[in-house]
Amino acid sequence: MASYSSRVGADIARWLQAGLIDASTADALRRDVEANKRNSLSFGSILAMMAALLFGAAVLIFVAANWEAIPRLSRVAALFAIIFAGYVGGAVLKTRDHSAIGEALWIVAAAAFGGSIALIGQMYHLSGDETSALVTWGAGTALAAVALRSNPLTVASVGIADAWLFLRGFDYFGRAEFPHLFDVMAIVLFAISFWTRSRAARHLVILSIIFYLMLLFTEYETLQVAVPLVVVSALLFAAAIFAAGFVDRIVQLGGRLPLHALIGFLTGLVMIQFELAGESNNSGFAIASAVALAGIVAAIVLGGRESRGLRWVAYAGFAFELAIIYVVMLQSMLDTAGFFLAAAVLLGLLALVILRVEKRMRAPSVEGATA
Amino acid sequence: MMTGKRLIISAAVLALVQIGFLSWIIARRAEILRDGKQVLLRVEPIDPRDLLRGDYIMLSYDISRIPVKLIANVPAGKLASDDTPIVVRLKQGADGYWGATTAWFGQAPAPAASNEADIVGHVSEGWDLSAATTIAPDYGIERFYLPEGEGIAIQNDMRVRPFGIRVAIAADGTAQIKALMDGDKTLFEEPLY
Repeated sequence: MASYSSRVGADIARWLQAGLIDASTADALRRDVEANKRNSLSFGSILAMMAALLFGAAVLIFVAANWEAIPRLSRVAALFAIIFAGYVGGAVLKTRDHSAIGEALWIVAAAAFGGSIALIGQMYHLSGDETSALVTWGAGTALAAVALRSNPLTVASVGIADAWLFLRGFDYFGRAEFPHLFDVMAIVLFAISFWTRSRAARHLVILSIIFYLMLLFTEYETLQVAVPLVVVSALLFAAAIFAAGFVDRIVQLGGRLPLHALIGFLTGLVMIQFELAGESNNSGFAIASAVALAGIVAAIVLGGRESRGLRWVAYAGFAFELAIIYVVMLQSMLDTAGFFLAAAVLLGLLALVILRVEKRMRAPSVEGATA
Repeated sequence: MMTGKRLIISAAVLALVQIGFLSWIIARRAEILRDGKQVLLRVEPIDPRDLLRGDYIMLSYDISRIPVKLIANVPAGKLASDDTPIVVRLKQGADGYWGATTAWFGQAPAPAASNEADIVGHVSEGWDLSAATTIAPDYGIERFYLPEGEGIAIQNDMRVRPFGIRVAIAADGTAQIKALMDGDKTLFEEPLY
């Protein structure tokens, strides 16, 4: 990305020389490039973040090894030192313009906080399950994100919340309650993400909420989850398309809200389809399938042009719908040869639809560029 | 953008808050170890599949199964348990091990006598409450961490002779493992810190 900004800089100089833009425009452009450069992920900052994650993992594994060679009070003290040095050192580096390394040190400090929780659990044989330790760790990390206004720490706390959700959600053998607390976590983290200007965290929260609703659905097998999800997603989609500027100023997702809304919409409809598929009278299933297909078409027509990602989610949804409709409606009528025939027809249909839509989406923009 | 000095100060405050929180947990646990009432609990032989996971052993106590008829305040006609705390009153038996005498959902109606101790556990939702059954509370002491590699030997010994866990119980009923006992011999004693 740094190379992009230097390239643009050279371009601006050339345009200025050729008289295409005046000096004040050139200045404004340079300032804009400079201001936006910070937000982009450079190769170096990705490496720094990976190093931080590896180091954090090393800290956690070191603690988990329950190594008796070092007295445990010294291990606690070492972890406390990492916490302090990580947060404060990171802040110092951040103010001296080493933003990427600073953020990476904060991640290390947050990992050391989690490691300390695990070590204390070991020291005192606390058997209160791992999941409650995760809640404490996530809360501490979210607090750090707020105090330091850090984007990576916000993403990290969403990741910890997801890990918690995952562990609790799939804990079929344990006697754990269903993780309803995730509602609260999602709302709090979403709110924090505005303060820390973490768009990535917002994306992750929305996807996690859809995952959470899926867990809720498998737990209770009910349309009371699926129907509101479909309705709310459809409304959000409409709002994000028809009042794009306004909605994006509020949620600040970089125009990706329609994508999430489409994922939510399709997830909800698949839940409904699963619920209705077993019934002897398949009319409910047929209606749900028709709604899903209509929704996919509407999404491509309304939002497909602006977003390639949206189109690909729509295609994936379309492929999934074809498969599920085939399995439920036709499977019993066909033998193996028929299955291959049907699969060939469906794949061909899918390819045809994708090719046609992609062509239509491309054509006008090419004309626009040449005109 | 936060100014430089403010960022460093908030980082320092943040670090101290997190370290303070962790120290508070340590101090609270150490306090239970130092001042808590000591009781000796018999550890049950455990299904070997569950016994060893990594470097801790899973422990199951006699009091990990409480007969429903010991619970004094089961509401009449209630079929299944709520998600609730449970207070179990312990008394020392002739063999030195402490056992459950009575239990209450929620809180005990009266404090324990001097030769008794109340331990607080947690019951999850949905246990059958009919009179002939038992329920299984958790006390937060169901795990014992061992130095690497020593788990197997202890696991094997545990199945041939009685083992016990010496537990310290705070005034509010929170339990804390103090030592692992092989009969009368102390195998591991926990230092305060």
